[in-house]
Amino acid sequence: MKGFKQHALLPTPQHDEQARQDFVGALRGHLSGRVMPGNYQLFERRVAPRFAAEHGRPPGEEQEIRDWMTREPYYQFWSALQRRSQELLWESVIDPTEREWSELIQRARGGKSTKASKRGSLRLNPSLTVPRYHAAADIHLQPGGYHTDFTSDDIAAGAIYDKGINLYMGGALGSENDLMGNTLLAYLRERHPSHQPKRILDLGCAIGNSTVVWARAFPKAEVHGIDIGAPVLRYAHARAEALGAAVHFSQQNAEGTDFADESFDLVISHIVLHETSKSALVRILAECRRLLKPGGLMLHLEIPRGRTPIEKFMHNWESYNNNETFSRYMTRIDLPAEARKAGFAADEISLEEFVPKMDVAQMNYTQHFFWKILVGHKHGAA
Amino acid sequence: MTDPIQPPPEFPKGHRPQVFSEPAIDQLYDGYVILGTELAVAFDRIDTLERLLQERLGVTLAEIDGYKPNEAVDAERQARRAELAQRLLRPFREFRDDRITRGSRKG
Repeated sequence: MKGFKQHALLPTPQHDEQARQDFVGALRGHLSGRVMPGNYQLFERRVAPRFAAEHGRPPGEEQEIRDWMTREPYYQFWSALQRRSQELLWESVIDPTEREWSELIQRARGGKSTKASKRGSLRLNPSLTVPRYHAAADIHLQPGGYHTDFTSDDIAAGAIYDKGINLYMGGALGSENDLMGNTLLAYLRERHPSHQPKRILDLGCAIGNSTVVWARAFPKAEVHGIDIGAPVLRYAHARAEALGAAVHFSQQNAEGTDFADESFDLVISHIVLHETSKSALVRILAECRRLLKPGGLMLHLEIPRGRTPIEKFMHNWESYNNNETFSRYMTRIDLPAEARKAGFAADEISLEEFVPKMDVAQMNYTQHFFWKILVGHKHGAA
Repeated sequence: MTDPIQPPPEFPKGHRPQVFSEPAIDQLYDGYVILGTELAVAFDRIDTLERLLQERLGVTLAEIDGYKPNEAVDAERQARRAELAQRLLRPFREFRDDRITRGSRKG
């Protein structure tokens, strides 16, 4: 994909592997740009009028739309190809990773660099239990998920994820998959320009593609990233070192970390909450409040789940077909109410819509794009 | 040294949706996308070869377009086409073997 920065931890695809990745990118671009919008036309011109003729009212609930749309051949055609393109995407990335697997592990181990030359750190916890919302199904269909070690010191899940999400968004995530980090950073700078964090925690950081953005934006701050997956964290650490960013990665569950009370002035996450569960969500938000210093900020970037019933139905394709099992519940969840359950005062919490002034990619399933940000501003001196 | 590497699973863990009322149609769509992908890969490879032939050996596109295989080359190509047809029709042979030739086994 054009503009994607090749670094030491990524495998180098051979001719046919590259051609396969390029075709997957082209196919997905065609599906999202040319085929997917036809589902909205199908709904407006055919499904909604027929539903109204039968029921004497427009379809109201997402489930009603689901019952009708999933019987339509055009929707079936798009859905079948969308699912297959997602599986093909991982296959196209796994092939070169498998070929260079041992070399990539060697490179991640550090090669010539010594401990003293490292900027950040890595702390793993082999006894950590992978939560069910990660273990039950491979999120986004990545075989083995983000947590499976296929050998010792494995980093494959990270290398596969790095190239995979680049293809997933047709390159729109930026040369270092830094779009989400840049978006949330743009929010902080536009809406909270005086906030200068000294300690930053990124929850569910995976390969640290967003965490690195924050480490570069606040070079004097101590930046931490946590995730439940060991292979993605090993990769994140090696990748951050290769990119010259100082980040301290540790394998922890965001529902309960080992950091001290009130030890961060900024706690963030980038499209992570919808990959958890209803009970985990409240525990994560409570943990955020515990970790925040008085005056500290919590920012969770989330993709919108649609304004209209048809948009909600289209968004939830991911939930039913791409192993985003919790995201369909996120459509109905009142995030500020969940934050209040987690101990935030009503006036500490807001849910904001945000479109940064910078260019932002169009997501796959929506007509009107904006980001949602759950903001928590803990009372007390800044 | 790296410890032995377990092969990653071929398929993701989790619910596999069925889009069409007949599962065979889902499988047919999967095959259709895979064929398209491999065709794109072959086109890219042919394009690479043609460009290298022009740059390094001065072979022109007109010469490639005007190429007529002799009998021996044609026979090799025939054999390759037959092999491809055999590979492509594997699911149908399987179906025939399971349901028709040995119909008594599975009914």
